[in-house]
Amino acid sequence: MDKFELNNVDATFDGYQKLIDLYQYYKSKAFTQMELNIKKWLGANLCSALGGILDKLADENYNVVSSIDASPDTKKIIQKNGFLSHFGYDDLYDKNHTTVKYLKLKPTDGKYFKNYVVDDLLNHPELANITPELKRKIVESIYEMFVNAQIHSHSSDIYACGQFYPQKKKIEFTITDTGIGFRANANKKFNVNLTSEQAIKWAIGQGHTTKTGTSGGIGLALLKEFITKNKSKLQIISNDGFYEYSGEKNTEYTKKFINYFPGTIINMQFRTDDKSAYYSDITQSMENIF
Amino acid sequence: MEKITIRVYNIVGDGICVEAEDGQKIYEQLKKALETGHRVILSFQNVEMVTSAFLNTAVGQLYRDFDEKKIKDSLAVEDMLPPDIILLKRVVETAKIYYKDPERLKRSIDEILGD
Repeated sequence: MDKFELNNVDATFDGYQKLIDLYQYYKSKAFTQMELNIKKWLGANLCSALGGILDKLADENYNVVSSIDASPDTKKIIQKNGFLSHFGYDDLYDKNHTTVKYLKLKPTDGKYFKNYVVDDLLNHPELANITPELKRKIVESIYEMFVNAQIHSHSSDIYACGQFYPQKKKIEFTITDTGIGFRANANKKFNVNLTSEQAIKWAIGQGHTTKTGTSGGIGLALLKEFITKNKSKLQIISNDGFYEYSGEKNTEYTKKFINYFPGTIINMQFRTDDKSAYYSDITQSMENIF
Repeated sequence: MEKITIRVYNIVGDGICVEAEDGQKIYEQLKKALETGHRVILSFQNVEMVTSAFLNTAVGQLYRDFDEKKIKDSLAVEDMLPPDIILLKRVVETAKIYYKDPERLKRSIDEILGD
């Protein structure tokens, strides 16, 4: 048995650094029974990233979770979202309806992901009172990020999880892959040596894609535009690069981690009290599209 | 030349068109139709939502294989929701720029390196 303490893991640079520290601690070990102690806070949507790390440690070096201990409130929420059921614990019913289920799926499970978005997100009680336009924008964003992970990550699995914070009037949704990351993709495509931070910043640009022979590079640009109008936040963690965009302040921030996350995390925060018109003030003609 | 209708909902199998793989199925039908000189109505009847990845593959690729005039003269869309029309226009503009000047992407990388 080998214990590791995760202390206050929230959606900040420091929080992600703690997840990276966990991965780095165990990645050089093999056949270890990991005992995790989650002290104080774990942002429940970050189960997406934590699940990716734990599976990576199991796949690479047969390190398995023997127990996950946490404060009662934290343990309850990560049972309610189904995360702990992957590690030998029972689910709990979420009577407050603030969780969006933890989901692990293959990149080829596109239809399954669509059903998840419809069942667990579109029909979520917490989304009942937001405008239809906002709901559509949130769902579009999540689909765009899922398909990015499908196309670009070369990951064996993709992880999703969300959490509503009704008092703060926001939802956070996290999509994680344990694939090659932005840096390797860009550097391989263009035969350059970008840092992870540079690769992420480049990837967000309109029309910037690493696909071969096909145009693209719209999904992240669209997301950033939505985050701006929604006055919310986007975080991208890829290998040793951290990128955060504040839609409220229209500012970007990047920083390098100590060591690296084995893949990419896209964390999207959306404001649920946003009444902006995203579509209702437009009329679009089907003439002259081409 | 004969006009044919290609129905996205039927090919993809549901009204939420997310994946590039599904876009590829649309593209293959469009490509065949244009190669054989047909005019095509691409129907989005019952399609509730599309992603840029789906449209890049379904329609964007045509700009690699055919010139703009051919596509403009041969292709029209029908029953597309306004938000999806906006996205399609963006996909088309992005594709036009990309296929006209593929080196532009490399220049954008050089700009980042220069930062």
